[in-house]
Amino acid sequence: MVLDKEKVVRVRDTKFLDDVIEIGEKIFPEIDKVRTCIQCGTCVGGCPSGRRTAWRIKTLFQKAMIGLKEEVLDTDDLWCCTTCYTCQERCPRGISTTDTVRVIRNVAFREGYAKKNHLFVCSLLFKFGHAVPINEPVKELRKKLGLSELPPTVHSYPEGLKEVNAICEKTGFKEIWEKQWKKAQEAQK
Amino acid sequence: MADVGLNKSKVATDEKKSPRIGVFVCHCGTNIAGVINPAEVAEYAKTLPNVVVAADNRFMCSDPGQELIKEKIREHNLDRIIVAACSPRLHEPTFRNVIKDMGLNEFYFEQANIREHNTWCHIREPEKALQVAKDLVRAAVGRASLLEAIGYREIPVTQKALVVGGGIAGIFAALDIADMGFKVYLVERTPSIGGHMAQLDKTFPTLDCSMCILTPKMVEVARNPNIEILAYSEVEEVHGYVGNFTVTIRRKARYVDAEKCNGCGKCAEICPVYVPNEYNEQLDARRAIYLPLAQAVPNTYTIDKTKCIECHLCERICELKAIDFSQKDELIDIEVGAIVLATGYDQMRVNEPEYGLEQYKFGIYPNVLAGLQMERIISPTGPTQGEIIRPSDGKHPKRVAFIQCVGSRDFRPGKHNYCSRVCCMYAIKLARLIKDHHPDTEITIFYMDIRAFGKGYEEFYQRAQELGIKFIRGRIAEILEDPETHNLILRSEDTFLDRVMELEFDLVVLSVGLTPREDVEEVQKLFNISRSPDGFFLEAHPKLRPVETNTDGVFLCGCCQGPKDIPDSVAQACGAAAKVGDLISQNKLIFPLVVPQINYDLCRGCAECVDICPYGALSINERSGKVQVEEALCKGCGACCGECPVGAIELRHYKDSYIYRQLEYLLKGVPERQLEAWKKGEWEPFIVFFVCNWCTYGAADLAGTSRIQYPPTVRLIRLPCTGKMDITYILHAFELGADGVIVSGCLPDQCHYVSGNFKSVRRVKMAQEILKSIGFEAERLDDQHFISAAMADEFVRVVNKFTEKIKKLGPSPIYCPREKSLEVK
Repeated sequence: MVLDKEKVVRVRDTKFLDDVIEIGEKIFPEIDKVRTCIQCGTCVGGCPSGRRTAWRIKTLFQKAMIGLKEEVLDTDDLWCCTTCYTCQERCPRGISTTDTVRVIRNVAFREGYAKKNHLFVCSLLFKFGHAVPINEPVKELRKKLGLSELPPTVHSYPEGLKEVNAICEKTGFKEIWEKQWKKAQEAQK
Repeated sequence: MADVGLNKSKVATDEKKSPRIGVFVCHCGTNIAGVINPAEVAEYAKTLPNVVVAADNRFMCSDPGQELIKEKIREHNLDRIIVAACSPRLHEPTFRNVIKDMGLNEFYFEQANIREHNTWCHIREPEKALQVAKDLVRAAVGRASLLEAIGYREIPVTQKALVVGGGIAGIFAALDIADMGFKVYLVERTPSIGGHMAQLDKTFPTLDCSMCILTPKMVEVARNPNIEILAYSEVEEVHGYVGNFTVTIRRKARYVDAEKCNGCGKCAEICPVYVPNEYNEQLDARRAIYLPLAQAVPNTYTIDKTKCIECHLCERICELKAIDFSQKDELIDIEVGAIVLATGYDQMRVNEPEYGLEQYKFGIYPNVLAGLQMERIISPTGPTQGEIIRPSDGKHPKRVAFIQCVGSRDFRPGKHNYCSRVCCMYAIKLARLIKDHHPDTEITIFYMDIRAFGKGYEEFYQRAQELGIKFIRGRIAEILEDPETHNLILRSEDTFLDRVMELEFDLVVLSVGLTPREDVEEVQKLFNISRSPDGFFLEAHPKLRPVETNTDGVFLCGCCQGPKDIPDSVAQACGAAAKVGDLISQNKLIFPLVVPQINYDLCRGCAECVDICPYGALSINERSGKVQVEEALCKGCGACCGECPVGAIELRHYKDSYIYRQLEYLLKGVPERQLEAWKKGEWEPFIVFFVCNWCTYGAADLAGTSRIQYPPTVRLIRLPCTGKMDITYILHAFELGADGVIVSGCLPDQCHYVSGNFKSVRRVKMAQEILKSIGFEAERLDDQHFISAAMADEFVRVVNKFTEKIKKLGPSPIYCPREKSLEVK
């Protein structure tokens, strides 16, 4: 048997988890509890996504802990979490599991690991002020439920779109997006 | 005052001379010397008033260190000794003995805590740590220069003991004490002794039959002439103190004459009322008149009056006329010298919402059982006579799963964080017993970690694997039920394979953990002891005083102190019994006379102190109209001193003058230093922190032991209780230039002197009012805190928060007058 050299871990970014926690702490103050994960599998056992996909949240945490940065960020699995919060509810270590995944996604986006479809969704946000803009069936449904056809968001107040874009620019979100969007489009060509 | 062992005239002449102080600074290996230079502290000490000699040593507590103190005492004729080292909670007795050996009164000793309160928690700020060490030594010198000699008092000892709880721990404690020749009262709440061990089938790791080894001990208890079993009884009240407790016990009415009943059981046969059977974990029913188990000790039937319909059928059938409906609860008082608590545990009621384990559907799906229920099903004396069947259809389960860590090791808020210690082993034991009965049963244990730590346990685990019991590492996420077959589907992950699994089983056993008794809080208050954050009773020291509590004369053993298995419970019971024997074999106990002293010239007989004393130790002498002290009742909390409006009462060893002097020395030169630092822009708050000896001082020690780092802004002043807190201490600290003052005592209902912490709450509020009224920033005095000895994190949080607050307020106006512009603002 030939040993696949790539499978041997020789290089790791031991600061990776610290960085993730430092970024996440501003929004989720208890996120550092992810350090106390004991890999019991309660999260994966009840994960509705894990029953259909290769998404293993606890494995992601272990990789993040060891410092396999590339493997954590550059994977489709990371985006398979539906953020249903079942695991966060049950985690015996009280870890903010889902919140941690959200932060890691954030880091992935910043570091340029966003997937093509996400970038497209972002473009919708800039255009409509919604990641998922309203469509005809939803409008019908709203009317049926006795609601106004459009929700009280940018859809009803188009002038708000400017503000949404201003936020996206000010936070640097748009800049990060633009770089990757261009790259993705070039790659397509 | 009955000072035993004190040559009063000699003391009087000695104390008139100016004191000759020796300061000894410990390196504690690198614990202190790794952060600061002890020699520098010693050099500094030499410059302080009355200090005749100062020296340092690698380990002051070692023999050479102790010799050094003795040598210097001889050489320089020292009469006050200060050791700057670890916490006095650790080595105060050691050093007191050293100076006692040299013929000095042991109360001439003072310890400065420069390890737990300084070097361990300011590791990264060596320069500031050095300053803190100097401050603490200076304060100690101030206090030591006033210390007076104190003698002893002798109190008699009642040579009897009380054991509360008749489980395996209580049984062993009672037997051991009785074997030493002392009378023991064994109080048990249920109708029979035996406890949880009587419910078990076999015991790990040797698989001997639980009842076969327990019943001989139960019978031994009944036959031992020194033991009086008070079954179906509860402790109602506890008064007194070590060596002299008076305990009121409620003997609940059994409505059966114990003298006449021979346990024939005809009454139970005829009784028409069926009640869920506690002994069989509610899996079957007993009658309203019952014997909890066949081997009950005492072998007397009991009528459960809450369930009895008073049909009197039992009365008619009993040939011995033992049934007596006229019985009433009886209150009896017993006198004992020591108390052993062996009150045991409850199995976690994991179906209750507080556990947050709804996904296991315990109590909803019939085939999901708890550990003790499975124990009863396997037991030959259980509801199925040892036949292993499942509740839904009475069939043999072919596939059995055990789920580990149910309710334990859960760090979600408000859940049980600890490991229950016995569940791994009892699950493996039950699995092996099932295999013994039906070798074709397929058994899987789902676990997070297997903890087989005891003697023979790892081998027991390995044998289980050899027998074909499967171990899957993964905590079960949820349990689903097939509504037709009542089979259970377990959703989990094999964490080694990263595979999600849905496996089907016929029966699921939850390895439910151990929790403190439901009424643990009441029992805690009854005996005036503490509890650790896990809810179990707290031992006096986690390593070195494992069976004692903070209340002298009250000891612990078994699961009331924390989850443990039978060997550990028995070992601890024997340890507690030895401690009790040690205590009550003495004719008298010797206590230092740290009691109040009355200045009769000042006392006006207002009786404020009489009202506040929680022990009734003070009274007004009818003839003189002034207050008098009953020394045997006094516990030395000093609440009376803090309350006296004229300062006529002083607690020995904690006199107001000592504390004033301590503050004066502590703050000597501090305002100048602080002003200098303020000008340089390096100013940091200087906070005086008054703490109670029992709780917050311990929290600060624990913060040090745990190496939690916090800013070097606080200096602790130890009081016996915050009830001793006097408003003048606070005002004096501010007057001398402290930037802030904090007061902290025990948790609200855990004061070691009943309610001293509340007394100081009121005084702190009053001090705030006074500060406000004189135009001083009252925020510089923080509201009273409550920090128990286990709450190091909270201690650090309080220090951090208050330091930040004082930083915002800036330096005290006492030494740094506000500029005009600031005042306008």
